[in-house]
Amino acid sequence: MSLPCGTRNYSYAEDMAILRTKTHWVFFIGFLALLYASPLYLGNYWLGVVNLIGITLVAATGLNILVGYCGQLSIGHAGFIALGAYTSAIVTNRMELPFLVGLIAAGLVAGVVGLIFGLPSIRVKGFYLAITTIAAQFIILWVINHWDSVTGGFVGIRAPYPSIAGFEFRTETSQFFLITTVAVITVFFAKNLARTRVGRAFIAVRDNDLAAEVMGINLLFYKLLAFFIGCFMAGIAGSLLAHWIGFINAEHFSLKESILYIGMIIIGGLGTTVGPIFGVVLIRLLQQTLTVQVVPFLEGTFDMMPSGFATGITPMLFGLVIILFLILEPRGLAHRWALFKAAYRLWPFSY
Amino acid sequence: MAELLQYIITGLSVGMVYALIALGFALIWKSSSVANLALGQIVLISSWVTYATLAQAQFPVWLAFPLVILFALLLGWSIERFALRPLIAQPILALITVTLGIGYFIEGLVNFIWPWSVDALPRLFPREVVHIGPAVISQEYLWVVGICLMVFLLLTLFFRYHKMGIAMRATADDQMAVQACGIPVTKVFSRSWMFACVVAAIGGVLISSIGGITHGLVETGLKAFSVVILGGLDSFIGAMVAGPIIGLLETLGGGYLTPIIGWGGVKDIIPFVIIIVVMILKPYGLFGEVRIERI
Repeated sequence: MSLPCGTRNYSYAEDMAILRTKTHWVFFIGFLALLYASPLYLGNYWLGVVNLIGITLVAATGLNILVGYCGQLSIGHAGFIALGAYTSAIVTNRMELPFLVGLIAAGLVAGVVGLIFGLPSIRVKGFYLAITTIAAQFIILWVINHWDSVTGGFVGIRAPYPSIAGFEFRTETSQFFLITTVAVITVFFAKNLARTRVGRAFIAVRDNDLAAEVMGINLLFYKLLAFFIGCFMAGIAGSLLAHWIGFINAEHFSLKESILYIGMIIIGGLGTTVGPIFGVVLIRLLQQTLTVQVVPFLEGTFDMMPSGFATGITPMLFGLVIILFLILEPRGLAHRWALFKAAYRLWPFSY
Repeated sequence: MAELLQYIITGLSVGMVYALIALGFALIWKSSSVANLALGQIVLISSWVTYATLAQAQFPVWLAFPLVILFALLLGWSIERFALRPLIAQPILALITVTLGIGYFIEGLVNFIWPWSVDALPRLFPREVVHIGPAVISQEYLWVVGICLMVFLLLTLFFRYHKMGIAMRATADDQMAVQACGIPVTKVFSRSWMFACVVAAIGGVLISSIGGITHGLVETGLKAFSVVILGGLDSFIGAMVAGPIIGLLETLGGGYLTPIIGWGGVKDIIPFVIIIVVMILKPYGLFGEVRIERI
């Protein structure tokens, strides 16, 4: 990453800093303040959208570590989110343990199951792994749907409001603070993970796993670690989702949702920390505005709309967006963002 | 005994259809190493197009089927031309995800045009049941087996003797060499997509003539992946052998395991369990070529 004009590094600490200049700090703190102040200027509905974006971001960041950094394609992410959601709901609802226990348990269960389904990754990759994870998703959802006595089967299960130390997160606003804090911590963790020994090992495995192994990187360990971290975050996101919606069933975690997650990180930009943020915001905003504003408006204005318009238009558009991004901008919005930053730093000179 | 025989025959015929759909996958994989995850949706939309021609437009069968085939050809051509051609030589991740995007798009299209999402195809095969030994089989299963075998035979002959078939096999073997010989590789890719869509469409018509058209057809397409995984990704024989095996395991397991476990729908999950087991034990399948990688 190029530094702004005239900035030099004089120590290793300066070289390692994520936020290097004063302007960085101003923008960063300004952004956080703006984010945390959003209950002041956003209505309940839009706050809900922000919450959904936050939850999705946690899961997408996990997927980005697995796919974007470590190169292990997983198309069963919604299955692992479902695991987290159900674990948390069962722990808090049926066992009546505190929410924080449920949150951690959700992450651990999803992570451990992710390890099991990640095992084939040692011997296979690419398409084989994609199929394995699709199979994982179907098996997880099937178990959830049929293990009536624990999961509530097709009906679903209720998840109580989250509460920490006696405080109950009942309103959209209070949930906003919980979800946003978790999302910020996750992004911070992901950003730093990429800069550590582990993150560099992931990137080596992604770029060429054979060469990585020859260089002394333990493939088994790092691939499984990537699966664990990715699925752990999916579990955390699932737990937040369960307690945010309040009532979950397997419908929330279809294969389509998994594909959408892959789409999000591709649109955002694989292997970057800002990528998932862009992708998640774009896809979720598109989804909300389409289903809540655009489609009812169009249906209200034109009488002869086909009856399948409402259900059909969203997947069609998402499919199109994914295809177009892969063809026209395979490095995602994060690449555009980097270009923009570079241009901004040099402005008004073009060299 | 009668029950067992019945399971075996239905399992074999459903497995044949899986094998057919799986062939559609192997065709594309062999020639262009693209993993087509939109297979289920291609099966779905071609079944609906069959429905549109047969039930909605009331065309006779001799007109409806060529139309469906034509549609499948067009679908395959346009997928290859507009989505895969710009992505030649991209990493495998992009190639897999683009087919996922295509699948998403097709599913939306199906929802758009046929929003009621469940319907039955008009009967294609005679209604009378057949008695084989003690078992009573509805006739359509036998027709399905016959048609599948015929398509297998045609495809085998095509790959053995037709110029294009030989070019496809050559492309699968070594793309660079083929290009140097003056075989138009993009044309081979395009043809293999068209063929694959036709094969998947035939599979779709057969399976929906038995079970009706539902969204479950997407899952049927995904089950075909268990066939390619078990048989080996790049092997036609593998698909033909593994298809009936999967079909048999599915119906036998569904028939005998459901009372033991007590959970319904064991049938639908067996192919996916097989995928995981094969992945852990023998990832390149029964007949697949074991890839030796070099740095």
